[in-house]
Amino acid sequence: MHELVEFAIEKAQEMGASYAEARFEEKNGTEIVMKNGNPEGLGILADRGIGIRVLVEGGMGFASTNVLTKESVSEAVKKAVKLAKAAAKIRNKPIQFSEETFHQVSYEVKMKKDFRDISAEEKMNYLKLIEEKVKETGVTTPMRFLRYGDFMWHKIFMNNEGAFVASFIPRVSVTYNLVVFEEGQMEQAPFVQRAFSGGLELIEKDQPWEWAAKDAKALQKLIKEGQKPPEGKVDVVISPEVAGIAVHESVGHPYELDRIMGREAAQAGESFVKPEMLGERIGSELVTVIEDPTVPNSWGFYLYDDEGVKARPRYLIKNGIINEFLMNREYAAYLGMKSNASARAINYNREPIVRMANTYLAPGDHSFEELIEDVKLGVYMVSFNEWNIDDRRFQQRYIGREAYLIENGEIKHPVRKPILEITTKGLWSSVDAVGKEIEFYPGTCGKGEPGQGVPVWMGGAPARLREVVLRR
Amino acid sequence: MFEVNELILKKAKELGFGDVVVLAHEQNRRQVRFANNEITVAKNWHTQKVELFVEYQKRLASTTLTALDENTIEKTLQMLMKSVKNLAAKEDYYGIAEGPFKYKDIPETFDEAIVKLDKPNDYVEVAINAALEEGAKRVAGVLYTEHNKLYLTTNNGVEAFDEGTGIEISVRAFIGDEESGHGTNSVRILKEFDPESAGRKAGEIAKLATNPIQGEAGTFEVVFDPLAFANLLSYMSFMTSAFAVEAGFSFLVGKLGQKVANENVTIKDIGNMPNAYGTRKFDDEGVPTRETTIIENGELKTYLLNTSFARKYKTETTANAGLLMPEAWNIYLEPGDYSKDEIFGEVKHGIYITNVWYTRFQNYVTGDFSTIPRDGAFLIENGEIVKPIRNIRVSDNFQHILESIKALGKDLYHIHWWEVNTPVFTPYVLVKDVGITKATK
Repeated sequence: MHELVEFAIEKAQEMGASYAEARFEEKNGTEIVMKNGNPEGLGILADRGIGIRVLVEGGMGFASTNVLTKESVSEAVKKAVKLAKAAAKIRNKPIQFSEETFHQVSYEVKMKKDFRDISAEEKMNYLKLIEEKVKETGVTTPMRFLRYGDFMWHKIFMNNEGAFVASFIPRVSVTYNLVVFEEGQMEQAPFVQRAFSGGLELIEKDQPWEWAAKDAKALQKLIKEGQKPPEGKVDVVISPEVAGIAVHESVGHPYELDRIMGREAAQAGESFVKPEMLGERIGSELVTVIEDPTVPNSWGFYLYDDEGVKARPRYLIKNGIINEFLMNREYAAYLGMKSNASARAINYNREPIVRMANTYLAPGDHSFEELIEDVKLGVYMVSFNEWNIDDRRFQQRYIGREAYLIENGEIKHPVRKPILEITTKGLWSSVDAVGKEIEFYPGTCGKGEPGQGVPVWMGGAPARLREVVLRR
Repeated sequence: MFEVNELILKKAKELGFGDVVVLAHEQNRRQVRFANNEITVAKNWHTQKVELFVEYQKRLASTTLTALDENTIEKTLQMLMKSVKNLAAKEDYYGIAEGPFKYKDIPETFDEAIVKLDKPNDYVEVAINAALEEGAKRVAGVLYTEHNKLYLTTNNGVEAFDEGTGIEISVRAFIGDEESGHGTNSVRILKEFDPESAGRKAGEIAKLATNPIQGEAGTFEVVFDPLAFANLLSYMSFMTSAFAVEAGFSFLVGKLGQKVANENVTIKDIGNMPNAYGTRKFDDEGVPTRETTIIENGELKTYLLNTSFARKYKTETTANAGLLMPEAWNIYLEPGDYSKDEIFGEVKHGIYITNVWYTRFQNYVTGDFSTIPRDGAFLIENGEIVKPIRNIRVSDNFQHILESIKALGKDLYHIHWWEVNTPVFTPYVLVKDVGITKATK
């Protein structure tokens, strides 16, 4: 396939492209769905194609094809160049890319237990195990949706500036939705996912069936023992899972420079953050938020982005100060900076755009007990269901699924649906203690048009928010 | 493509598969994205693929083929057979539709002029300029053109072809950081395309939204712009699928025959509607698409079904296959008899919400959700828009919203954009007692 990728780039240059890149992608995998104990079916993922992106006279064009012949690729290149030329006429300024150092490199994530060697039947056993373990809890769960997925994601990226990056990254995941019905009440753990880059050994070590059983029991306990949460100004301790969604939504997204500069304005929106806010305080000194694609076996893992730039950890917030944005080559160039390898595409037929990978709240120095022990009245939010944030990423809300009352330094009974509705600055300024241990939770981050749901991890350390307003 | 379909069908039967559905697509799609009044990227997609669904003794498998040579086809089918043979059966699988069927041409779904269109950027300029003329400073959005061909072959005597086109634009206009408006236009034939109206609406709302004040929390009468209400209906469309109901992703669980909305509410799925973005001649098993009343005068009449679900529930398919998951084509909220002015005139003290996004559920089965207004939102006093507001959230329950619909406009709007996946036809909608919350720190 190298030849076809190389051919695309040469062809684009011949046709007048000042910049040309081509990306071959191939995904091969399996999906198994089970609904209420019934195997719904087996899906075989087999997708491949080539995407070509060019700059011509300062306009950008992109074309893709899944017909892998020279003729078809040539036709795609022709279209990309033509589109770029026409686009250049409706531009105020030509698009430029930052200058980067490129590599010729090939890398892969090794699997100890290779899913390609395992039958669909064995894979379905993971879902059956969830069925069994949930049943063993004795909790009534009339609706259960379970999904297993694996795929090998192979890419070959080249550009006309000397980049060559080939990668093989396997990804495995298990997702469940459980509806618990007890005492006439319904509670739900929807779309809970466990997901990794690597082999099945990671699923087996993580044991999603234990997570599912724990969720079922927690929801039963919530129905049986749950009380109203306290209202008004209280302390809230957020778990790594809740810290994860908060850093993703209110730090990762608003620090995407394409969004800041308005490129996503008609879709995912803009940002309350402006380029001149680099160096400004946005949270307490204890808040450091790191975005790192290189975390081994992470759901958001990569070593080189989809513009061929080498990945590294990015410190979005350092000790409460806005430190760095997420950038691709186009937007780094606007600020006269270098890309920090944030360009990702979900498939050959999508353009690379600025994305997160693994975003987390960096650990502090408190044990979990220390976070709790001097809370007089508050809530410990373990997990969440409903969440959302405005399209400038400034006012957000998280509603607890599993949550407990904290009273005089002790965790007490479960509380129902505590609502934290807060501004971004309000949230991060309220942090007065951060835990030592970090955990990660997977998600699919949505952005771009057509939509590009990319695999990400979110998480970090638990944190204590002092005197925030909690509602019922 | 029918030769390829036939070949796949023949080989699948030889291997011993029972039901076989082969759905081939040929797609040419173009996109022009723009932001800050300039084009950020233009794209073209050429896709040729075959979606394949096979059944072996109630064991189901599906895949997509992109290489269509005989060798790949054979290998894929053998691999599917090997994989499904040892799987447990789906005990509640009841087969696919028995063809053949007769198909009617649906007016206004194909237009050669869209296939031949060479300068889509002209429409982008029209939309940007319309928004700027209304007072916008920055305009962003996206334009698509599409040309799709579908070839369906099944083991039950179906051979069906459909060809469709579409052109659509979504425009968001900004004045400052917090003053914005949005407009869309989606059609299947070129002469109906009106990018200017989308740009103008976006610009008008942005201008009206200048200098917003913090909105207040409470319970309000809310006028939902078609753009905003379409978002809610698009989420609801998934919840009407029998699959979503069984899997615990719907507030309609166990409510067939019950009242789930105000009696002025009738919601349909219309798969064969002329000039609608989701229209197709047939569903994924070849049943001719049709009009299905989901909610009639407030009462839940049916979920959306394919043949297997229909047989399970001892009823008729609604022609919404999806072989595993039935899905809506075009969701249609029956209009009422209020003019837009009359709808606003009904409101003494309320809110006009022009757009929402990020609709999320605390509990799908109860329907508790929230969604965030974006673009202009306005306070209404005595029927008049008095000032723009910002930073509020609709926090309510889906069924409660449907039950609380007080008035429906008489004009329908066709909405399909980034946030509204399933195309929706909706008028302006007035809902009473809508929960509004805000961040307090």
